[in-house]
Amino acid sequence: MEIKSMHFKANASAKLADVVLQGNLKNAKGKFVTKRAQAIKDLDDFEGTRDAAEAIRNKVIDNLDLWLERFEQKAMDTGATVLWAKDGAEVCRLVTEIAKKHGVKKVTKSKSMLSEEAGLNQALEAAGIQPVETDLGEYILQVDNNEPPSHIIAPAVHKSLDDVADLFHKVHGTPRKTEIPALTREAREVLRGHFLSAEMGLSGGNFLVAETGSVALVTNEGNGRMVTTMPKVHVVITGIEKVIPTLEDLSTLMRLLPRSATGQPISNYFSILTGVKKPAEHDGPEHLYFVLVDSGRADVVGTDFHAILRCIRCGACMNHCPVYQTIGGHAYGWVYPGPMGSVLTPLYAGMENSIDLPHAATLCNQCGVVCPVKIPLPDLLRKLREKQTERGLRPITERIGLRVWAWVAQRPKLYALGASVGARYLKWLAGDTDRIRLLPTAPEWTLGRDFPAPQGKTFRELYAARRSATPRT
Amino acid sequence: MARVRVAMFVTCLVDLMRPRIGFAALKLLENAGCEVIVPDTQTCCGQPAWNSGDAPGAVALAKKTIAEFEGFEYVVVPSGSCGEHIRVEYPRLFAGEPDWRDRATALASRTYELTDFLVTVLKVDSVPGDYEGTVTYHDSCSGLRGLGIKQQPRALLAKVKGVSLKEMNGCEECCGFGGTFSIKFGEVSAAIAERKCDNVLASGAQAVVGGDLGCLLNIEGKLRRMGDETTQVLHVAEVLAGRT
Amino acid sequence: MSSREDILGRVRAGLHRDATNAAAGRAEMAAALASRSHGPKPAIDSSPQALLERFRVKSEQQSSSVDVVTAESAVPAAVDRYLTAMKLPKSAVAWPSLTALDWAAAGLNVEGRGARDADLVGITGCFCAVAETGTLMLCSSPDTPAAISLLPETHIAIVRASRILPYMEDAWALARKELGSLPRAVNFISGPSRTGDIEQTIVLGAHGPYRVHLVIVAD
Repeated sequence: MEIKSMHFKANASAKLADVVLQGNLKNAKGKFVTKRAQAIKDLDDFEGTRDAAEAIRNKVIDNLDLWLERFEQKAMDTGATVLWAKDGAEVCRLVTEIAKKHGVKKVTKSKSMLSEEAGLNQALEAAGIQPVETDLGEYILQVDNNEPPSHIIAPAVHKSLDDVADLFHKVHGTPRKTEIPALTREAREVLRGHFLSAEMGLSGGNFLVAETGSVALVTNEGNGRMVTTMPKVHVVITGIEKVIPTLEDLSTLMRLLPRSATGQPISNYFSILTGVKKPAEHDGPEHLYFVLVDSGRADVVGTDFHAILRCIRCGACMNHCPVYQTIGGHAYGWVYPGPMGSVLTPLYAGMENSIDLPHAATLCNQCGVVCPVKIPLPDLLRKLREKQTERGLRPITERIGLRVWAWVAQRPKLYALGASVGARYLKWLAGDTDRIRLLPTAPEWTLGRDFPAPQGKTFRELYAARRSATPRT
Repeated sequence: MARVRVAMFVTCLVDLMRPRIGFAALKLLENAGCEVIVPDTQTCCGQPAWNSGDAPGAVALAKKTIAEFEGFEYVVVPSGSCGEHIRVEYPRLFAGEPDWRDRATALASRTYELTDFLVTVLKVDSVPGDYEGTVTYHDSCSGLRGLGIKQQPRALLAKVKGVSLKEMNGCEECCGFGGTFSIKFGEVSAAIAERKCDNVLASGAQAVVGGDLGCLLNIEGKLRRMGDETTQVLHVAEVLAGRT
Repeated sequence: MSSREDILGRVRAGLHRDATNAAAGRAEMAAALASRSHGPKPAIDSSPQALLERFRVKSEQQSSSVDVVTAESAVPAAVDRYLTAMKLPKSAVAWPSLTALDWAAAGLNVEGRGARDADLVGITGCFCAVAETGTLMLCSSPDTPAAISLLPETHIAIVRASRILPYMEDAWALARKELGSLPRAVNFISGPSRTGDIEQTIVLGAHGPYRVHLVIVAD
């Protein structure tokens, strides 16, 4: 996918001015946050379950090479083919080759963020193969000129009912429908034909189970089941970090993933797929391929950012992020928005392409406390800021400003003088009012709010005066 | 019983913007029987440097602050954010310097946010303030999620004559301040603040009260820009101490 | 160098892999695979009556409907009652393993085979069910085709009460005991298919069934 994260700030401004989007975001926020809060209540030991989930994910990523080898062996034992892709280009090449080998003309896809990373749909189209997105949200975006998703589990969350009604009317040539069930039915009918005619199904993978060589898929719509049951070829595209040890671990993670994502106690369909169709079976793919994708992940192993590899892609961090809630996912400019995206984009798509992202957070830690695998997202964002500073990627004025600040703050007398001057300057700006309407030293502040006036003298001045007036014993 | 010897870390923002909050904290501590010292070489705890990716600057300021404050029985900070930086982050700054890490850990264990100190350590049973009216409380992120400051200010406000607390929706949500975030992404920051202010106004409270001046400046600035001239924006110390 | 070796090589470098820590890592891996340790689970009353009740309540919360009969022979009549009440056709595709039931006596035309797009009603059993979340566990095989619970608009599942287990972990243990290895597809199903992709408003009947009806046999 094209990287637009370097334009974060301009994109964010545009999103703030988009009245329709603002309404949609407000609506979505309430639902995600409220439903999750309700859903975690039925776990007697939610925090203990988070600890267990963190441990499961750490167990694997701390010995990722060994677990990958183990998974690969088990998957091959079941009759699957395991392929490895260094980057998006290799993903596209491998999937296109598989499609050609099996004479595939049409591919039905259940949601895969990795295929977004790789730009797979464009590559398939270029090879004369038709990709059909089947997750309702992804389908809506695909028929809207391949608009990118704005959320990892609710890709079309930025669209309103009206948007979808207009879109379906236009692309399906049907009378405009205004009821959500009718629109859903219309998409179902269009997509059913694709499910039955596609020769290849393509899915992501929520987890890869090392014990059994299986892929675990979580869906609500049933499209994940369709694309892995009806076509003769099934290709799984996942990141190399998705391995987990056992089926029991799957159960632990499943207590958290749907609750954190959509506030459901369990998703409608949870499928564990192992190997290919047996000779007498009526359904299931005859060929199963795993494409294990690096695309930046291997280079994160063992670094300061190792913990982000625990991520199970639930979306809770963005649902609870004040910044995401305010500007939506598109402003982030790449596949993954919100806090996890602001960590992943610099790591996978280049730090120099995403200078703003690690700073585009208030470090409020709402993300950290809801993360089901306890990724310390604010710490990772702060660490990225440090790396940017070390590499000289931040604006020169900011770097000098920080250095001067730290230098002055280590010199108490100079600092006290600076504070006194500053307090008087700000007081002067406010004049005889209690506020500053335009702050020349930090104009960003006063773009959308006033800056309250200071008292005019510093605490240390007043405290010294008080002490000299009333000498203590 | 010997008087508890407390050093107060005033914080940059209180020093620059609202000295009266410092004096309110002073009054609360002295009223509770503490001997309060305000080391006059104190400046900044280094949090802005740390959060901006300037680790060397953050380490230098942490060392300075540790050296200035480690001789006291307790350190009290009228801010959840600076308090959290000293209590939680300081020990993590010195992974490669065990001596400093030990000193940082020792200081961290004796450093308290103001309301936490009054409730947890001093166990005060009364406060001098009085405030006639309804207030709503904004839980600042660092205090709430970093230090577990939630019931302490509410317990203290309950002891203030005349005050009734009316909780707002989303009291635990970020106000959008975020330190340098507020001046790097001013529009986004102000838009987040608007949601907070909507909740403040919807609560119908006469005052919004909080424990972090950064958040309070943000909320006050947004309320005024939104045209609200009446809602007071107060630090919890001001309400608890009454007029100083 | 192959991509496989390149990727694994960089992972190993990141982990400072050497012979010693590889041996330790393999031991940890073997221990994890052998111990199959469980995470915390919500407390559940595991008496048969309580399991059935919890399964029923949780299933209904996921928008499934539930009927309880006392013997397997009563299932065809129960299915007929449901189809009549819902004004649904009396023809269905069913797991081949269920053709021994006397469907014709209840006036139903039930064929045991794989599912087709035109099938409107699909009847399945289940390998077991999970009371914690009100979830069916279906295992694919020639006698239990996966698409029957997916393609038709109505899915009717027969659940033997003795196969309602407290947790998903119990289902894995049972599968290992009875099946040895996992079948091609294990499908955990919790109610009719749904989507919330338009304005986060839940709509039943996305790509799979619009309705799921459970006939529990209190054996």
